Amino acid sequence: MKTKIAITTMTVGVALLFAAQLPSGSAQESHVGPLTGNASSGKPLYKRFCIGCHGPAGDGQGENAPWIDPKPRDFTAATFKCRSTPTGTLPTDDDLDNAVTRGFVTTNMPSWNPLTPQQRADVVAYIKTFSPRWKTDKPGIPIHIPAETAVTLQSVLHGRELFQKMECWKCHGPAGHGDGPSAATLTDSKDQPIRPYNFATGSRFKCGETNQDLYRIFMTGVDGTPMPSFADVIQPNDAWDLVHFLRTLQTMPTPELDIWKKYSSEHASEIKPIGPDAASGGN
Amino acid sequence: MNRKLLCLLPAAAVIFYAVKAGAGAPIPPPAGGAISGKVTYTGTPPKMKPIDMSKEPTCAKQHTTPVMTENVTTGPESSLQYVVVYISEGDSGGAAPAETVRYDQRGCQYLPHVLPMQAGQVLQIFNDDQTSHNIHPLAKVNPEWNKSQPAGSLPIDTKYDKPEFIPVKCNIHPWMHGYFVVLNTSHYAVTGPDGSFSLKGLPAGKYTVTAWQEQYGTQTQEVTIGATETKTANFTFKALPY
Amino acid sequence: MPRRFPIGAIALRWSLISAFCVACLLLLVTFNRHAPTAQAAPLPSLHVRAIPAFARKYGLPCSACHTAWPELNNFGQVFRDNGYQLGNERDSPIWQNPSYFPITFRITPNWHRESTNNLAVDSIPGGGPGSTLVAGTVQQNGFDLSGMDLWSAGTLYKNISFVLLPSSDQNASWHFESAFVRFDNIKGSSWFNVKFGKFELDNLISEKRFLFLSNNGGLYQGYHYDVPGTINDFGYGDNQLGVEIAGHSKNSYTRYSVSVLSSNDGNPGFVSGFGTPANRGYDVNLAFSQAFNAGSLGLQRIGAFAYIGERPTYFETSTTPDGSGGTTTLQLVGLGNKPFYRAGVAGDFFLKKLELMPLFMYGHDNPYLGAGISSTSALPPGAKPPAWAGGFLEGHYYVNTQNVFFARVERIDVSQQPFVNAGFPTDYGNVRAYSFGYRWYPIMFSRAGLALHSEYSIVKSNGFLPLSGDGSGLQIFSTANPVWSSSVMLGFDFDF
Repeated sequence: MKTKIAITTMTVGVALLFAAQLPSGSAQESHVGPLTGNASSGKPLYKRFCIGCHGPAGDGQGENAPWIDPKPRDFTAATFKCRSTPTGTLPTDDDLDNAVTRGFVTTNMPSWNPLTPQQRADVVAYIKTFSPRWKTDKPGIPIHIPAETAVTLQSVLHGRELFQKMECWKCHGPAGHGDGPSAATLTDSKDQPIRPYNFATGSRFKCGETNQDLYRIFMTGVDGTPMPSFADVIQPNDAWDLVHFLRTLQTMPTPELDIWKKYSSEHASEIKPIGPDAASGGN
Repeated sequence: MNRKLLCLLPAAAVIFYAVKAGAGAPIPPPAGGAISGKVTYTGTPPKMKPIDMSKEPTCAKQHTTPVMTENVTTGPESSLQYVVVYISEGDSGGAAPAETVRYDQRGCQYLPHVLPMQAGQVLQIFNDDQTSHNIHPLAKVNPEWNKSQPAGSLPIDTKYDKPEFIPVKCNIHPWMHGYFVVLNTSHYAVTGPDGSFSLKGLPAGKYTVTAWQEQYGTQTQEVTIGATETKTANFTFKALPY
Repeated sequence: MPRRFPIGAIALRWSLISAFCVACLLLLVTFNRHAPTAQAAPLPSLHVRAIPAFARKYGLPCSACHTAWPELNNFGQVFRDNGYQLGNERDSPIWQNPSYFPITFRITPNWHRESTNNLAVDSIPGGGPGSTLVAGTVQQNGFDLSGMDLWSAGTLYKNISFVLLPSSDQNASWHFESAFVRFDNIKGSSWFNVKFGKFELDNLISEKRFLFLSNNGGLYQGYHYDVPGTINDFGYGDNQLGVEIAGHSKNSYTRYSVSVLSSNDGNPGFVSGFGTPANRGYDVNLAFSQAFNAGSLGLQRIGAFAYIGERPTYFETSTTPDGSGGTTTLQLVGLGNKPFYRAGVAGDFFLKKLELMPLFMYGHDNPYLGAGISSTSALPPGAKPPAWAGGFLEGHYYVNTQNVFFARVERIDVSQQPFVNAGFPTDYGNVRAYSFGYRWYPIMFSRAGLALHSEYSIVKSNGFLPLSGDGSGLQIFSTANPVWSSSVMLGFDFDF
C-alpha cells in the first residue's frame, strides 16, 4: 500500500516536472479586452478579408503584394511596427487588435472597424499562428507611459533641443519633412526603400494620432523599419517635451503649435537652426 | 530495498532535467588537438570600393584615407579575411562563457566587421563616435530590434539565444555593414588578413568544420583528430568579380 | 392540352431544398413540351452590382467587401457609406498603378428556360379555321445574354464621390440606371452626406446587390408590385431621381436616410413609368437601420422604411385638330396628385454561415389611384384604397467565400382591391414566389469576378401576368385563374 502511494507520488512528481517544460498559454488564442479570440474562427475570416495582401501563408506575399507600397506585413517574421512593448519583443494581443481596428494610414491596410470586436479578436488569434515565436516567446511588457507633462514653452523648446541632440533631423529633416541627409538611402528590414515620416503631411501616424501614441512610437521604435527605439536614451519627462515639439512640426492647429508660433514670431533671431551646425552646440 | 530505489527516481529526474537545461558548470575540455588552416579564394574577387563619408564629417575626418567596403576583404596570397570558421558538429557546445564580447562603432565603422559569439553570451555595443548611430541587427531567428545610441551614451548590453548569422546595419549611415555570428560552439575563429585560423583545445573526435564568408556562403569539411593532433583544413571559395 | 399543375405543391417542397441540380433535371423531363414562341420581355433595370475596379484599386479580394458579390458585407457597406473611400489617404487614383481604370462591366451569358401558363393561345397553331383561343403554356429555352452594366464609381475628389452606371438590356438598348454625385462626410461628420442624381433607394435589403438573376427570381415581387388595376407606377426597387441626405455611424451599425424624389419613378425627361407625362410632385423616402453585435454569430441588423409619394390622376391637355377632320389630344403634365405609401420592416441576420433576410411591407394607394379617375370627380361609391401586404424570407448559406446557396419565399396578399377590380375574386392580384439557387465563384482574386450561377424560380400571380414580364404581349386566358411562370437559369456571371 505504501509502495503504491510512493509510486503514485513519484509519477505525479515526474509528470509535474514534464508539465513545467510546456509553454504556458495557448498560441491559438488571443485575449483582447474581455474577449477571447480563437484561431480556428479567425481562419475563415483571414481567408475572406486578409488573404489578398498578406497571402495564404501570412508572409505578405498575397496576390496584390507586388503592386503595394509599403508591402503587406510578413506575419512569419513576427516583427511589428506598432507596439506598446519594447523593441524586439512581441506585441500584445491588444496591440495587434488596435492595428487591425485602426488600419495604417497612407498604406493599403484599411481600418477593419466594421468587423465586430469578436471577429477582430479571432483574426488576431489566427495571425499569431503564422510565426513559431508566439509559441516560444511571451509578448513584451508594455512600456510605462507616465502622465503627460504640461504643454509649455519650456517643454517645446527643450523638445527642440532633443530633436537636435538625438539627431532625429538626420532622417526626418530639420523641419520634419522627411528630407534629412540620411533620408534618401533608408531601407527597411526587407531592403525595400522607405521614407521617414513627414510631419507636414496629415495629422495621423501609422501607429495612432494622440500624444500618447507619439510617445509610444519613438520609445518603442518602429520595428522592421529604420526608426529605432529611444527608450534607453531619453527620460520620460524629456520624452514628453519631444512629443510637444514634434506637434509643432505638424500643420494642424495644436496648443503646441500656437505656443511655438507665438514664440518664433517674437524671438526669431534667437532660434538656432536645426542641423549639422557647429554653432548649435549639437553633434 | 525497493522503496529506496523508488525514492531515487525523482532525484534522477531532477538531475536529468538539470543536466538537460545545462544548469551545471561546463567541464573544461582537455587541452589537446587543434584544427587549423587557411581560407583562400580562386577566381577574381570584386574590387572593394571606397566609402564616401562626406555626409558625416565627424567620421570622415577620422580617416586619412577612405575606408573601403568590406564584403570581400582579401589579403596576400589570395587569402580571405573575415571568414568565420567554427565547429558545426561534434562539439557539445556548453554554456555561454561569462566574458562579454565587444562591438564598437568607431569612425562610422563596425569594429570588428564580423563578431562571432556564443548563444547566450553577453554582447556589449559601444558608440565611440561624435555622432548618433542606430544599431539595427537584422535578425530573423532571434528577435529583431533597433535602438538609438547617441554620442556619449552608455553601451548597450544584449545577447542572442539562438545561433544565427545576423547582418547589422546603421540606418543613419547606410555604408555601415557588419555581422553578429551567433554560434553554439566555443570553438570558432575569424580569419585575419592572412586568411589563417586555428581552432584549439579540441578533444579527440570527429568534427564538421564550417567556414562562412558573408558573400560566398558556407563550406564544410569533416576532420577527425586524435587527442593531441593538429590537422589542417583549408577552405577555398570561388570568387566572382561582382 | 392537359394542364399539369401539381407544380405548385412540388415547387413549394423544392424551394425548401437546395438540391438545385436534381430539381432542374426533373423539371426538364416533366415539361418537355414545345409551344409557340412569344417574346418574354424581361423587366428592365434588374442588373446588380459588384466592382472589381475597387478590388484592383485597393488590393483587397472581392470577399473583403462582399459576402458573395454582389451582396455587401458590413465592411463593404462602410466603404460605400464613406463615399467609396477607405479613408487611408490612398483613395485618390493617383496612388494607383497606371494601368488601373475605374470602370467595371458585368454581363451574364446564360442558358435559360421560361414557362408561363394561363396564356391565350390558338388551339390550332397558325390560327386557321376552327381555331379558338385556349389556355396554353408558352415555354422557351435556349442560350441567351443578360443585359450589361457598365459601372464607374469612385471619387472625384476627397469626400466627393460619384457613380455613373449606363445599363443596357440584352439588345444593347441603353438607359442610365444610376448617375449621381455625393458629398461625403460633410463638416467631417459621417452623419451628413448628400447625394444628388439618380440612385437606388437606401433599402436595407438591396435588390441591386442580391444573388438572384433568373427572369422570375431576379426581382423582389414587393419591390415592383402595384395592385393590378391601380394607376400607380411606383416600384420600391426602381432607382429614383432626387436628393438623399444620409448618415451612418463610423462602423455603419446605425444608418439613416431621408430622400426627396420626383414622382416619376426615376424616369428622366418628365415621363412616368407608363410613358405618360409625369406630374410636378415630390415623394419622400425614409429609412433607418440599426445593427447589433451578436458575438461569434455575427452582425444582426434590423431596419424600417417608409415611402410616401403621389401620382397624378388626370392631365393638363391640349386638343387640336389633326388635319384629317378629327382631333388629337396631347397630354402635357400630370395633375390632381393623390398620395400613396409603402412602409415596412426588414432584417439581416447572421447565424455564422447562414444569413436570413426577412422583410415585411405594406402598400396603400389613394382610392382615386385605384379607381383611375380624375381627382376633380367624385369617387364612385364603394371605391376603397387599394392595399396589400407582403414580404419575403430569403436565406443564404455561405459554405465558404466561393460557394453560396440561396433561396427565397415571397408572398403578396391584396387586402383591399381597387375599385376597378370590383367583382374580381378577393385573392385577385395575390402573388406567391419561390426561388432557389447556387453560385460557385471559381476565382476570388482582385482582378475580376466570375461566378457559375444556377437558379430556379417559380411565381404564381393570381389573374395577372408575372412581374418578370414573361408572357407579356399576350393576354391572360382567364383572370379567375393563377398564372404560373417558372424560370430555370444556368449562366456565367462575370464582371471585370
